[in-house]
Amino acid sequence: MFFCFLLLKSFKKEKSIKSLTLSILKGNNMKLADVLETTQKEPHCGMCKVDFLGTGLCPAGKKHGYVAYWPEGRMELARALAENEVKPTDALLDIVKSCDLCGICDRQCYFITQRRPTQAHQAMKDYVKTLKPNMIQHVAEDDVVKDLRAIVGAEWATNDPIIIASYTRSILRQPPTGKFYIVMPRTKEEIVDIVKLAEKYKIPYLPRGNGTFFGVVLQTLLAEPATIEQGIIIDLLRMKDLHIDPESITATIGPGVTSFELQKAAHAHTLRANVAEAESHVCANAQNLGIITTWSNTYGWGTDNFIDAEYIDSTGAIQHLSDKDVPNPYASEQGLLSLSLIPSVIVTQLTLKLHQILPDEDAVFIPFSNLSDALDLAHEIAQRNLGVSLAVLSRKYLTEFISPTHEIAEGFNYIAERYLKLNYVVDVICDSHSKKIIEELADITFGREMIKSLILGSSKIASMKDSDLLKMISEEDNPLKAVFAGPLRKHFEKGLAASPRDLVNAYDSDLRDFFEKLYSKPELTDPIWLHSFRILPCRMERKHMWMYRGGYMPGDKKTILKVVDALEKPAKENNIDGAFGFLSYLERGKLAHLEYDYYYDHTDPDARKRVNKAIVESWRRQFAIRGVTPLEFICSKGLHKKEHILYPFPPGLSKEDLEHFEELIETLFGGEEKW
Amino acid sequence: MVKYLSEEWATEAKKKVLAELDPKKDLKGMNASLMNVVQNVPPDQKTIYFYIRFVDGKLEELLATSDESVKQKPAEFTVTGDYTTFVQISSGQMSSAMALLKNRVKMAGNKIKAFTITKPIDTFNACIQKLSTEY
Repeated sequence: MFFCFLLLKSFKKEKSIKSLTLSILKGNNMKLADVLETTQKEPHCGMCKVDFLGTGLCPAGKKHGYVAYWPEGRMELARALAENEVKPTDALLDIVKSCDLCGICDRQCYFITQRRPTQAHQAMKDYVKTLKPNMIQHVAEDDVVKDLRAIVGAEWATNDPIIIASYTRSILRQPPTGKFYIVMPRTKEEIVDIVKLAEKYKIPYLPRGNGTFFGVVLQTLLAEPATIEQGIIIDLLRMKDLHIDPESITATIGPGVTSFELQKAAHAHTLRANVAEAESHVCANAQNLGIITTWSNTYGWGTDNFIDAEYIDSTGAIQHLSDKDVPNPYASEQGLLSLSLIPSVIVTQLTLKLHQILPDEDAVFIPFSNLSDALDLAHEIAQRNLGVSLAVLSRKYLTEFISPTHEIAEGFNYIAERYLKLNYVVDVICDSHSKKIIEELADITFGREMIKSLILGSSKIASMKDSDLLKMISEEDNPLKAVFAGPLRKHFEKGLAASPRDLVNAYDSDLRDFFEKLYSKPELTDPIWLHSFRILPCRMERKHMWMYRGGYMPGDKKTILKVVDALEKPAKENNIDGAFGFLSYLERGKLAHLEYDYYYDHTDPDARKRVNKAIVESWRRQFAIRGVTPLEFICSKGLHKKEHILYPFPPGLSKEDLEHFEELIETLFGGEEKW
Repeated sequence: MVKYLSEEWATEAKKKVLAELDPKKDLKGMNASLMNVVQNVPPDQKTIYFYIRFVDGKLEELLATSDESVKQKPAEFTVTGDYTTFVQISSGQMSSAMALLKNRVKMAGNKIKAFTITKPIDTFNACIQKLSTEY
């Protein structure tokens, strides 16, 4: 009886969320223009295709596959229709009909980017009601799509402009210019046939994972080299084969498997995969960026991550890296002309190494007010090979990732900088033995409980701008010590004492019950789980678009600080909001990977121009530093050995080389006026 | 109007480059030899070798032929790609460096040197684009 009561209660709660969502929308007769601001800024993180909150997935997206049926694509369509980039077709009617405003996407999207996709869906529903029958285009099947359908089935290939438009800004440039096709194969044999078909029709093709990388790059001057001007987009979402072999501690996966899905499957065997952000497709990420993580000092990068890769080359031949007859698969080009943002092969299967999770894993955080001191400790930990995950995190990342809204993150960021002097954190996941050593090495540390308090108390911290306690703390000689190791720690923790109920007050009222329940789950406040599943990084896209800067370099502090300076100066000169993101090491600290981000409003043409200038200037400065390989020059080389990419250390460009660099930039991207 | 990659086109292109481009100013006094292997040339999908050689910025040779003996000529760089891509390069729709970035062509040779000649090669391509050409 009691159980039935709980079920009923839970059902009523679910129903009330849906009816609230609907009631907000009902009768509002929304226009596409009403949601234009949010749809224009939609960052295409692709998290709506990952069941990271246990809500289940968008039923329409799951059924139909094409981006157009997922919340991300619907938002893009709402924008494209509002901006008259595409005309309504039959597919639009089907897409609109397929959404019943269930609200799953609102929960997912609000958690990550504070958006409510249902508002865009409602606007599309209302827009469709205004269309007369003669305004709907019927798209004829041409020879290419007919042949594609013969390969994958009628349902999985299209030349419908509406479906194509939903891929804009997540693989196609805005607005798409040439003639495109979307195809969703299920098997490698189908991909072979698609590649051969493209050759027959002399049109280019491009594989698509979840599109996150394109979402960032297509806003910049790298858009042209990153994509195709016409041709076939091969959406790999359907290829979700996943097999864990606990005996060999490996996973064999298809190219549609996301990092989250692989991690979840690995965790079921008490194993861990070294994966990128939750939404990224593992095969694409491994091929494109080599899988960049905080676990790299222990688990590695590039070929360290996998045993074998199966791929299809440009002739349609299926190959394996383990084949004896393939040309040295690990050799790679270096230098300026090695930039290649388009993969030369399509990875169809990857067998990855997994890692055993230690039973006594714990988290240790060491706060710092300056980067130099943080790097000293982090490098020592890397050299001593302590811990499994090791990174230097910036204040920006810490506050943005753990805060439920961007406004709270900004408030928290202010408090951390102004009062706590908390600017960097050395962030370690380690066993109990390493933890003891790290605690001996560091003056101040805090652990899982404090992180939980910071997450649940983030809105409270953000509201403490006028707090006497914080003012008192800021007047201490070492505020970090006072907060995290001194007598004020107890008061600080007590002041923070927060529950999920307190935290969710920041959410829209109809979402609060859901998020209260969500934040009551231990994993949402567990740093080890969050480092493994990486569901938070896309929160950096809540306010603005960003552009990844940085790359690989020798692990010494002097070089790292020079690179930070080389990235910071162009941001300042071009009035771009730049911030250190995170730094991790490889090979016991011999090498380091740095992410520094440029944040900007990608809907503002002037901001785009400035960010492009900052990108070029940051290349120029980074290439002048010995041993540095900017991230873009790692792209498409993840299947190669890091030893072939990063060694020998590039010498640093001379004055004459830099002049040629200017010429190359002009050849590739034209002058500044064209950016 | 000359047919792209025909002998007549090669002759006209050479004339135009010699007449219009200054070896020092426009072609930066480059010393380079480049073999373009253009695959699947219509109508019979044959391969055409488009060979160029510069000495101190002066265009010494420009050949377009299906005769494989041209492969014996010294070439510091070999660029291989499909006819459609070379049309895009020669008609100014895409720079050769961009084609390389987009994996549309493969290049063999010293990439550091290639990096120093991208600009003059781009200028050369821009000059021959002006020929009235039938693709």
